[in-house]
Amino acid sequence: MRSFLWALGLGLVGAGLVHIVIVLLVPVYADHNSWARVTALGAENQFHLLDQAGPADQRRETDPLLLRAACPFDLDNGPVRVFATGSVPFWSLSVFGRNGENVYSLNDRSSVDRRLDLVLAQPLQRIELEKSSVAQKTDSIVAELDIHKGFVVVRAFVPDESWRPIVTSFLHDAACAVTEP
Amino acid sequence: MFRTIFIVVVALAIALGGGAYSAWYAVNDFDGFGALKAGDWTAYPLEGTHEADPYSRARTAREGALPLGSAEGIAFYAYADHRGEPLMRGCEYRIQGNSPPARFWTLHAADDALVPLIPRAGLPEALHSEEVIRRQDGTYVIAIGPKPRPGNWLAVQGSGPLALVMTLYDTPVTGDSGLIGVTLPSISRVACDA
Repeated sequence: MRSFLWALGLGLVGAGLVHIVIVLLVPVYADHNSWARVTALGAENQFHLLDQAGPADQRRETDPLLLRAACPFDLDNGPVRVFATGSVPFWSLSVFGRNGENVYSLNDRSSVDRRLDLVLAQPLQRIELEKSSVAQKTDSIVAELDIHKGFVVVRAFVPDESWRPIVTSFLHDAACAVTEP
Repeated sequence: MFRTIFIVVVALAIALGGGAYSAWYAVNDFDGFGALKAGDWTAYPLEGTHEADPYSRARTAREGALPLGSAEGIAFYAYADHRGEPLMRGCEYRIQGNSPPARFWTLHAADDALVPLIPRAGLPEALHSEEVIRRQDGTYVIAIGPKPRPGNWLAVQGSGPLALVMTLYDTPVTGDSGLIGVTLPSISRVACDA
């Protein structure tokens, strides 16, 4: 009996450890995470529309009235300029790290003339950018991010069907290219 | 000798089985510590951020979700009505009240895995604040269910569990101080067909 209680006690302590290890390792080993999903859409430094009519597990936690586009990037190749032309009722964006963590977000009210014009840069790249003349000539917002690989997700509101083509081309034509400091 | 082997085998079985099962259960079904209740609705403001707890992080990674950033907005989910009865697709509900300050909000119906439901052709999948008809005091009433209703109506067909999602965009509610005293409309059941 005593040995059984021993085994039970040891087992419960072990179960606690196994529980903690699994929960902490899930983000490391999850193969359907957001990074895998976004990079499966296509090449780096290009926006890809996230399909509204895709399979169920890709539509979960999405808003039917907002269209989304994602662009994977690698800041080690240089600062990335996220840029779109055209006017839509509302846009917002989030920058995620490789691990799917939201590191920066912005909406059209926080930007000049509601334009989407943002430069993502690592701390050292930002210093270079500020020294250069490019930053002084443009109204780009500069976001300092301490990440390497990551992706931007831009969302735009479709108040009714007449807006759909306009919002689609806004997202489709959005750029996310490496820019020289 | 036999006793030692027995202890080791039982302890290992409990550790691996119990640990794996409890972790699986927690990642799939546990709401996490960051859940915030506002009346009949729940939001997860820390989801996807650096401050999220390990359970929330594990779930976000597993689902490959792209949660809204704090400058974008915040989603509120409801799975039960005002009396605590689970929401069902065969029933008719009435949403009544007002929403917290935001540039605009949207409301859509989803299944229990939060996949948006698609109504029959020609009916809108979602409503938003700019098209909702309001009463004189600024509040609104939205009918949700299979039967067409005058005024604001969100069509929901079929059977099975239902979740309602109200997303606020560009709202001060996502700030650290904003979530205290947030009121969302109440959800009451009108009738059930089944």
